[in-house]
Amino acid sequence: MTENIFGVVGLFEDPAALLKAVPLVQSKRLGKLEAYTPYPVHGLPGVLGLSRSPLGGMVLVMGALGTLTAFLFQWWMNSVDYPLVVGGKDPSSWQAFVPIMFEVTVLFAAFTAGLGMLLLLNRLPDLWHPFLLSKSCAEVTRDKFALSIEAESGSLDVAAAQAILRQAGALSVEVVAFPAPASKVSLNALLALSAAGALTCALAGAGMYGAVKLFPVLPPMSHMLVQPRLDAQQRGMRPPVAGTVARGRMPYLGALGNPLPRTKAVLELGRKVFSNNCLICHGPLANGTPILTAAYGAKPANLQAKKFLSYTDGEIYHAIMHGKNAMPALGLGFTEDERWAVVHYVRALQRAQHAQDTDLP
Amino acid sequence: MLPELLRPEPLVEGSISAAVLDERVLAFPERRPPRAWFVAFAAAASCMSLGFALIGYTIVTGIGVWGNNRPVAWAFDIINFVFWIGIGHAGTLISAILFLFRARWRNGLARFAEAMTIFAVMTAGLFPLIHLGRPWLAYWLFPYPNQRGLWPNFRSPLMWDVFAVSTYFSVSILFWYLGLLPDLASLRDRTTSRARRILYTILSLGWRGSAGHWRHYEKAYLLLAGLATGLVLSVHSVVSFDFAVSVVPGWHMTIFPPYFVVGAIFSGFAMVVLVLAVVRRVMALEDLITLRHLELGNKVILGCSCLMGYSYLCEAFTAWYSMNPYIHHTFLQYISGTYGWAGWLAIACNTLVPQIFWLRRARRSLPVMAIVGVAALAGMWFERFTIIVISLYHDFLPSSWLVYKPTFVDYGILLGSFGFFFTCVLLFSRVLPVIATSEVKGSLHD
Ligand code: HEC
Repeated sequence: MTENIFGVVGLFEDPAALLKAVPLVQSKRLGKLEAYTPYPVHGLPGVLGLSRSPLGGMVLVMGALGTLTAFLFQWWMNSVDYPLVVGGKDPSSWQAFVPIMFEVTVLFAAFTAGLGMLLLLNRLPDLWHPFLLSKSCAEVTRDKFALSIEAESGSLDVAAAQAILRQAGALSVEVVAFPAPASKVSLNALLALSAAGALTCALAGAGMYGAVKLFPVLPPMSHMLVQPRLDAQQRGMRPPVAGTVARGRMPYLGALGNPLPRTKAVLELGRKVFSNNCLICHGPLANGTPILTAAYGAKPANLQAKKFLSYTDGEIYHAIMHGKNAMPALGLGFTEDERWAVVHYVRALQRAQHAQDTDLP
Repeated sequence: MLPELLRPEPLVEGSISAAVLDERVLAFPERRPPRAWFVAFAAAASCMSLGFALIGYTIVTGIGVWGNNRPVAWAFDIINFVFWIGIGHAGTLISAILFLFRARWRNGLARFAEAMTIFAVMTAGLFPLIHLGRPWLAYWLFPYPNQRGLWPNFRSPLMWDVFAVSTYFSVSILFWYLGLLPDLASLRDRTTSRARRILYTILSLGWRGSAGHWRHYEKAYLLLAGLATGLVLSVHSVVSFDFAVSVVPGWHMTIFPPYFVVGAIFSGFAMVVLVLAVVRRVMALEDLITLRHLELGNKVILGCSCLMGYSYLCEAFTAWYSMNPYIHHTFLQYISGTYGWAGWLAIACNTLVPQIFWLRRARRSLPVMAIVGVAALAGMWFERFTIIVISLYHDFLPSSWLVYKPTFVDYGILLGSFGFFFTCVLLFSRVLPVIATSEVKGSLHD
């Protein structure tokens, strides 16, 4: 009856005992050696002569494939098939694809590691493995360590195997047989099963049809229009506060003059802001001789030029607020008073360089 | 051997053999749970039902029943989303990052913490879904060929979020399931009921613990831990991109990704310590989940709390240094506007209260842990409130400013999210082993 024997299993108390037993049993070469343990035992794969797991390489390859897949998908959808311009960038820019490329890489790699290990390398699920039906299995999943000599090409010297396992110090030895072939599924049962399946499908289909016909509960598109707070999205803006100016209108460019009085304190404030912020580019006299080296590249305006003498205060203010070409928009860094104070100060500098007789006391 | 004083405290109190461990942990799903379990379950399930009833109301009526309105279009829904995703991070940190660091104390906690990760991500996932207003169209988020010839915009952080969160969820489940396999096999072999045996046989895929299998299994676990580490750091970073990539004052900051990750780990550990402190008592696992475990968790909380303080300072400095009046205004609103109290609450709960953990006595005291844990959770929720609501309700145009007021539906769904989370946790503790026995067995022997 050796044809029906799967193997002979010996149980050991702890990992050390198991590791010690392996070489002895191995030397007899009775059949294929396999060990079953409640947790991974270090050194066991080495003793049993198992090769290293190839999982790392598989994960690497699939991970790389994930990166590539994610990139090609996104690029094709957002750059080729339906080019989208976001933030004024070239539709073929790839930088914003990186987060999803990373996530998909991890997804591919992780599922390769998990499912590749289970399904491919370990060939699970295997619900009818002979060892599962042995008495030793329950011992192993609790706290024992099993060494089993398994039949190769259908034959095994059971007596010798039992003897050598005992000799190696096994607590108990069990002969594990292949399970009896399961009784055949009857034709009637199959028929009944498929009939039940068909009936379920038909019922589900009819039910869905009826449900959609009779209760169109969620007409998706009109839905958002009927709700208690229809006004929710229709609240108008509040009336603007006094003095609000429409976008794009800049009244200070023309008529509106400098609101600050030309006092000593204001000029002092203007001088401070000018020396800290403008002088480096426009020079101490605002005549366009910068302290910056030529490396700056641009040529700051000579504010003493005729053109700027005839500027309104508002136009200078505008330059501070919005900048011009190589001149940065500095305005938001100052308070409103500071901006107007600088305007006064620039005016004072201009006046100092273009003094007229009437200016003499 | 080291002298008594220098030796690390044992991870398991008293001597426990593998067989006793099985008897203690694996028998739990087979027994009738204690009365406390039923009380807790009733409470959690009631909150959950309330939450789902209100979600149903929202879906049928439209999200006008919430307090959201212009300019505060993101409110409780997104706050809760960020909050719950954050709670999940501690589980992955314990199961993956501490595994890579070979911090063996994680073994006892990993299973429970991972389960909490999964439930927290499930809870979090609810919110973007219902926030869509028409959740039955959620599949529009996925790239599938359609009649309109449109594709999703992959340059939008919201899209990144969809991918990050769904990857995180599926990988967490996989990781958790792999860890469960050997325990499911143990359950299969010890149960006496036929129905359970069939169920556990299928669930365990016929795991038999052969040396050849363990060899691949260990490798897979290591690889997954490495991958999950990168993943968990990326998830909250991507969540923070939802904010940081926009130009809203108070959101547009480069500190956001690390700041969000630290906050997530902080709140997650608070939840883990809080829940485990209760569970070990109710399930009589005090010698397996020891005070040492909780103390180590509290140390992580303390470390994160200091990093949070640093992030707050960094944020404030960036705001001041920007010289941008809009950002200045938003920051003043954080601490002095209508909702200034929320900002102060967040600062106090997240950076000041946990400082008590510098004292060893406090780290090992259950009442102190409970207080700090609750404070940290409240603080983190209000931190997200501060970031989201306050940055929005005073936007660029003063003419559209509007103070946000939540409705009872908002509060009810928030309560419901806690109900849902704890219902899942309780069900889990009822049907599956709450401690990874095969991992603990491995560390019993050496
Ligand atoms: C970084 C160097 C730099 C700084 C700092 C700077 N400017 Fe200028 N500014 C320039 C340059 C360059 C131009 C010439 C722009 C052009 O016409 O291409 C300019 C032009 C101007 C003009 C003429 C704009 C026009 O309408 O043509 C004014 C007025 C002016 N600056 C005022 C100021 C004031 C006031 C400050 C301090 C608040 C200041 N600038 C600071 C570089 C600078």
